[in-house]
Amino acid sequence: MIQAILVFNNHGKPRLVRFYQRFPEEIQQQIVRETFHLVLKRDDNICNFLEGGSLIGGSDYKLIYRHYATLYFVFCVDSSESELGILDLIQVFVETLDKCFENVCELDLIFHMDKVHYILQEVVMGGMVLETNMNEIVAQIEAQNRLEKSELLAWGL
Amino acid sequence: MPAVSKGDGMRGLAVFISDIRNCKSKEAEIKRINKELANIRSKFKGDKALDGYSKKKYVCKLLFIFLLGHDIDFGHMEAVNLLSSNKYTEKQIDSMDSVKQSAALCLLRLYKASPDLVPMGEWTARVVHLLNDQHMGVVTAAVSLITCLCKKNPDDFKTCISLAVSRLSRIVSSASTDLQDYTYYFVPAPWLSVKLLRLLQCYPPPEDAAVKGRLVECLETVLNKAQEPPKSKKVQHSNAKNAILFETISLIIHYDSEPNLLVRACNQLGQFLQHRETNLRYLALESMCTLASSEFSHEAVKTHIDTVINALKTERDVSVRQRAADLLYAMCDRSNAKQIVSEMLRYLETADYAIREEIVLKVAILAEKYAVDYSWYVDTILNLIRIAGDYVSEEVWYRVLQIVTNRDDVQGYAAKTVFEALQAPACHENMVKVGGYILGEFGNLIAGDPRSSPPVQFSLLHSKFHLCSVATRALLLSTYIKFINLFPETKATIQAVLRAGSQLRNADVELQQRAVEYLTLSSVASTDVLATVLEEMPPFPERESSILAKLKRKKGPGAGSALDDGRRDPSSNDINGGVEPTPSTVSTPSPSADLLGLRAAPPPAAPPASAGAGNLLVDVFDGPAAQPSLGPTPEEAFLSPGPEDIGPPIPEADELLNKFVCKNNGVLFENQLLQIGVKSEFRQNLGRMYLFYGNKTSVQFQNFSPTVVHPGDLQTQLAVQTKRVAAQVDGGAQVQQVLNIECLRDFLTPPLLSVRFRYGGAPQALTLKLPVTINKFFQPTEMAAQDFFQRWKQLSLPQQEAQKIFKANHPMDAEVTKAKLLGFGSALLDNVDPNPENFVGAGIIQTKALQVGCLLRLEPNAQAQMYRLTLRTSKEPVSRHLCELLAQQF
Repeated sequence: MIQAILVFNNHGKPRLVRFYQRFPEEIQQQIVRETFHLVLKRDDNICNFLEGGSLIGGSDYKLIYRHYATLYFVFCVDSSESELGILDLIQVFVETLDKCFENVCELDLIFHMDKVHYILQEVVMGGMVLETNMNEIVAQIEAQNRLEKSELLAWGL
Repeated sequence: MPAVSKGDGMRGLAVFISDIRNCKSKEAEIKRINKELANIRSKFKGDKALDGYSKKKYVCKLLFIFLLGHDIDFGHMEAVNLLSSNKYTEKQIDSMDSVKQSAALCLLRLYKASPDLVPMGEWTARVVHLLNDQHMGVVTAAVSLITCLCKKNPDDFKTCISLAVSRLSRIVSSASTDLQDYTYYFVPAPWLSVKLLRLLQCYPPPEDAAVKGRLVECLETVLNKAQEPPKSKKVQHSNAKNAILFETISLIIHYDSEPNLLVRACNQLGQFLQHRETNLRYLALESMCTLASSEFSHEAVKTHIDTVINALKTERDVSVRQRAADLLYAMCDRSNAKQIVSEMLRYLETADYAIREEIVLKVAILAEKYAVDYSWYVDTILNLIRIAGDYVSEEVWYRVLQIVTNRDDVQGYAAKTVFEALQAPACHENMVKVGGYILGEFGNLIAGDPRSSPPVQFSLLHSKFHLCSVATRALLLSTYIKFINLFPETKATIQAVLRAGSQLRNADVELQQRAVEYLTLSSVASTDVLATVLEEMPPFPERESSILAKLKRKKGPGAGSALDDGRRDPSSNDINGGVEPTPSTVSTPSPSADLLGLRAAPPPAAPPASAGAGNLLVDVFDGPAAQPSLGPTPEEAFLSPGPEDIGPPIPEADELLNKFVCKNNGVLFENQLLQIGVKSEFRQNLGRMYLFYGNKTSVQFQNFSPTVVHPGDLQTQLAVQTKRVAAQVDGGAQVQQVLNIECLRDFLTPPLLSVRFRYGGAPQALTLKLPVTINKFFQPTEMAAQDFFQRWKQLSLPQQEAQKIFKANHPMDAEVTKAKLLGFGSALLDNVDPNPENFVGAGIIQTKALQVGCLLRLEPNAQAQMYRLTLRTSKEPVSRHLCELLAQQF
């Protein structure tokens, strides 16, 4: 199961924080900080897995992360997930963002935080993987947008 | 067209975010945020009703502020209100048609939150059937659900095996274009394949030959595909492909039954060990670690030793180095122990601080387990202390002392080596401790050499004295008094040291007391008395290495299998050199056989393998009764008669047993002839019980034979070792019998004690229930209220709970109740139950095979003179049994 999905930039500013297990807010902040410090000191060409920090879970948990340009995508998962599978999932998520935003960049995550969450909800639900087919995910997002548009039109906005 | 057009967002929100981003300093940012918070607060509180759009905008702003790490203490209600809106954009309910998919995951979430809300039923068949669904997304969700549910209810979902195999087979054998959208970088449905392979790891190999054949074919196909040239150079392609490959290998290791596949898996992992992708090297090391514990592939894994050692030396990534160290530990056996230990020692010099202690423990264990010659073992441990003294825990240096004390062939060497090690200008305090102890015991063995004559030994130790901590100085004082016994010529010097004001009036009570007592002892006692008091330590009782226990603790319950010797069992006899059942080793057991895995090995020369309670050094002083004072009784384990040979327990046996549920000592039975007293102590899953048989008459009992019988399955649950006692008990005399007890797994019925003897020619027979109940193996566990409730909730399956409501048989006194609960073995937790009248307790039952966590709650009702007792444990029969035992106590 996925415990948490964290996206932050090279300076540790959180851009997307999603926990699938309840943590008090201050612990959430601490987890983000700790995770940032754990991945920051690692070069780009060493392995993408590391044993979880002290805050989430302990030895049964792993952090699986990928670094894209200015952003780190970190998934905290337990031992029931395949490491390479999660790496694929991060790639699927990022590629989907890229399709939805056309050349996604950090600013898109900042200004369209809500949309990013909707996209994530199509991929991961309650810590479990819901859908890995990119076309299917994009189709769902498009359907949502059509609904949204039609509503805006109906109200003359 | 992008799916999200960038223009239709909320302008106010965008402006706010831009403002924040333009802030030059943290202070400016906080100022801007506070301004916005004030604004939003006034809007929410204002008279004017907000429209949905504004509410949504403000809630989004709050979310953004929250994301930046600021506390938000309002606005939750507005967010909730948005949910009840009937406009789509304000609540964003997705109208997906794939309801099944979400439903499966929703059910899973519900089950995880509270398993008893989801009783198994005929719907399980429908869930399993989802594996046949057309829509791959649905299958993926269903597999996740089944994987979770089948862990607790394997039988309900057994039918999923054949469906999963056929689904997997269809995916694996499909061309890369067949599955269209679910093909990811030329790999058909990698995610689903991985999940299916994980699901299959929840079950043993399929019993149906056809299904099994099909599965083996799949696994072979995956292994074959790994050798094909890649269809794409992209890393995503190889990732997806390898994700399936690694799961396949995990499944092969899990089945551990196909030697051919295991060796192929090992070769495949061997290739990955040298791959240029760090991720693959990491995973290969990790998988190989589990492979090393299979008897079929252990040898194959060993061939990669050089690569792994190289990884330990050259990998730049600490995660990978750690995996390499784990693998070296797992692949170690007698043939390569020296090489591996020396490599790990070398690595320790530069190892990351975070993993040093673990490496130290591993080296200590391997050195002990595979030591053929004990001078090597002593060298290794002393090297450990030299290289990483700070990380050498007490367990490690206690252990080396135990082994040196127990093996006289290594004592001289040990004394010489520590003497040399102490010469170093700066040596670690742990070295001083080990050196002090060993020289105090065996310094005489090197005293013949003028370079290590008694005065030299003493001044060497004493030169370290002032730099050491109180504990070490206390140990050194004991060494000094031992020196007075070993080397009378040092007496004057040592007495002067003890007499010095810095010792005799030391601010530390322990040091002062030792100085005073030792000084007096050395002045008043005769040489004979000194020699008796300060005699060499007796051998330590053999037991499982405490270091191993520590490593297991450190790794936690989910520890990797390689660390858990239990899982290596099938192979351990042949490969890991535990106890080799060949004739030659029975007569002269391999030197390591009696150091680890002691339960199986009969230590011929050592004292009776007392599966003693207690820990380490303390144990030596554990009481005089440890050596049964019964003269030359044969030491062979007692042969119990079969249960059919003995009579049924006497009618009051249950009542007698109940008296001992909450206490350990007392009179178990008494009649005109005989009195049986019990004294027992339990620690972890071990116990020692002394039975005292008193002859109340003036006539000798003859053919006196007390035996312990295991009715039913108890033999596999509880091991009781007894010694034969003298066959005659004189009138008025008392004999003692020692029972060593080991709880192997949870049990419900107590063992029986059958006592037979002849009194005045007439045979007497008596069968009692031995007061060994499962709660004796309780270890009290303290926990905070929050943890208690969390665990209480986790144990909420109906069968995990047992409850009893009963009338009080004794006056309801809170203090007595507390004492009884503590005697029962659980910890009493204060401030957990909102009602202070109630008692809440927690403990863990320790057995060799498993641990059972127990939570209990006792609610007295003084008015009705009733109690309600609730027990929750992870094992159904245990809950019921504990509940019954405890309910009879009040």
